[in-house]
Amino acid sequence: MLMTNAIDVQQLAKRYDTSMALHGISFEVKPGEIMGFLGPNGAGKTTTLRILTGLLAPTGGRVQINGLDVTEQSLAVRRRIGYLPENVSLYPELRVQEYLTYRACLKGIARAQRRQRVDDVVGQCGLGEVRRSLIGRLSKGYRQRVALADCLVGRPDILILDEPTIGLDPHQIRQTRELIKSLGQHATILLSTHILPEVEIVCQRVTIINKGRIVAVDTPDNLRRRLAGHQAVQVELQGDAGTIEQALGQVPGVARVNQQLRNDGFTVFEVEAHPGQDVREAIFRLAVDRRWTLRQLSLVQTSLEDVFIRLTTQEQDS
Amino acid sequence: MRNLWALTVREWKAFWYSPVAYGVGGFFLLMQGWVFWLLMAVLNDPRVDPSWRMSQFFFGGTLFYWLSILMLAPLLTMRAFSEEKRTGTIEVLLSAPVTDAQVVVAKFLGAWSSFGALWGLTGFYFLLLRTYTRLDWGPILTGYLATILLGGLFISIGILASSLTRNQVVAAVMGFALMMVLFSVGFLDVFISDPQSSKLVSYYSVLEHVRQAAKGIVDTRPLVFYASGIGTVLFLTVRILATPRWRA
Ligand SMILES: Nc1ncnc2c1ncn2[C@@H]1O[C@H](COP(=O)(O)OP(=O)(O)O)[C@@H](O)[C@H]1O
Ligand SMILES: [Mg+2]
Repeated sequence: MLMTNAIDVQQLAKRYDTSMALHGISFEVKPGEIMGFLGPNGAGKTTTLRILTGLLAPTGGRVQINGLDVTEQSLAVRRRIGYLPENVSLYPELRVQEYLTYRACLKGIARAQRRQRVDDVVGQCGLGEVRRSLIGRLSKGYRQRVALADCLVGRPDILILDEPTIGLDPHQIRQTRELIKSLGQHATILLSTHILPEVEIVCQRVTIINKGRIVAVDTPDNLRRRLAGHQAVQVELQGDAGTIEQALGQVPGVARVNQQLRNDGFTVFEVEAHPGQDVREAIFRLAVDRRWTLRQLSLVQTSLEDVFIRLTTQEQDS
Repeated sequence: MRNLWALTVREWKAFWYSPVAYGVGGFFLLMQGWVFWLLMAVLNDPRVDPSWRMSQFFFGGTLFYWLSILMLAPLLTMRAFSEEKRTGTIEVLLSAPVTDAQVVVAKFLGAWSSFGALWGLTGFYFLLLRTYTRLDWGPILTGYLATILLGGLFISIGILASSLTRNQVVAAVMGFALMMVLFSVGFLDVFISDPQSSKLVSYYSVLEHVRQAAKGIVDTRPLVFYASGIGTVLFLTVRILATPRWRA
């Protein structure tokens, strides 16, 4: 049976006055998955998440959460999600417990269960010591946890977290990541970040966005391999696909060969090289030797590499 | 309903938990106390006309009355949306399952009830006065009614102004300016001789409404005016709040 995607984004576009922030992006998040949403600053992460939470209207495309349209059924969608905005802001004049009780009420937790629910999230987020403190007096780390507790208090199935570790110290970052991982056992999570190691630690899959376009959707492991400097070459040759694949595999420096689409006698192969190796010339000479017609020979995923260069790979840079 | 209540209580707390409340409240009560002191002086004057009602003096009879309403309404509402926009809490608020109408109405009710509470405190002055002289409670109550209704309209205007900017000072100035425009309509009367236009002006003249109410006269037309005015302004505010989500 086909399961409804927890989050389903199709051809989503957003224009701000004159500039396009999103050029028709599509991606899906499956129920129970922790999906990383990775991209450099200005890529369009916050814009996407704001549309998902109904704070912003899309210019084009469609977004469904649990099968509900975010613009048409905004209220129903908002009942199902917990949103952590990029810049955590809370009411400074309220006490932690008072604030969480208020939020639990807004999120439809019945009066009889409210107290218990607040106790639960206070425990989960390690807020026991500060539950009676004024929010305005809390440290940045504690405020972040209050915001996260608010995110959870309505028992959402879907958590949308916009750069949840930004501005925290390394110790708090570690704690927050552990917490997010543990939350992943009960909820679907979409987590945006511009820090590469963060998705490797927390996420099962990652969607990479750059300049309002999706660049790749993959597992963190695969991304690491692509990042390790493996050159990938796309080559289109005419001839028997099986023979060519075997021959390409024997070219010095080639790590893997994948057959891709076939078109009027030509076949596209994706050839992955070992780190630091350039296999393009060898492939060209092979084609000449064997008298295979070569129609295309190019490097692939340059856009991905471009993104990686601009991503923060070290915590200190964040 | 539960949302509306929770949101309104939050608004109430936002005002009363802040030191601003005690500055504004203290200043307001001092001003009204001064008005009462003047009132006592007039009452002790043997030359005063016996048909003169002190409610007419207290409600709309002095500059202080208008000044305090025209100051109180912007001060109570300037932070309503501006502050939430400036700090970013508006995102948290609107990503919760609440409707825009609930948010706007709660902001209105929160500020309006604070306004009512401050005016309610002036009731003590009347209780004090009662020990000196016999009071005619009818016009006093209608005076309060007019004040509360007028306050409601001005507060809805203040909320509207606050939804237009993230700067609370700008919101206060803008709200004050809009209130002044409405307040000034009453003075147009001086320039108008045609009875038809004069009737129209008196429908919009808050000055006239308060004067009438202070005499103990309750009319349905002002009631309709304030109810529809508040409704219209709040409706506009809901539309403004929803704009970023509709602007494609
Ligand atoms: N309110 C806005 N008005 C105009 N442009 C905006 C607005 N918000 C974001 N942008 C632009 O849209 C692009 C994407 O921004 P954003 O979604 O915040 O990226 P990210 O969260 O990935 O850093 C940026 O170029 C940014 O300047
Ligand atoms: Mg962002």
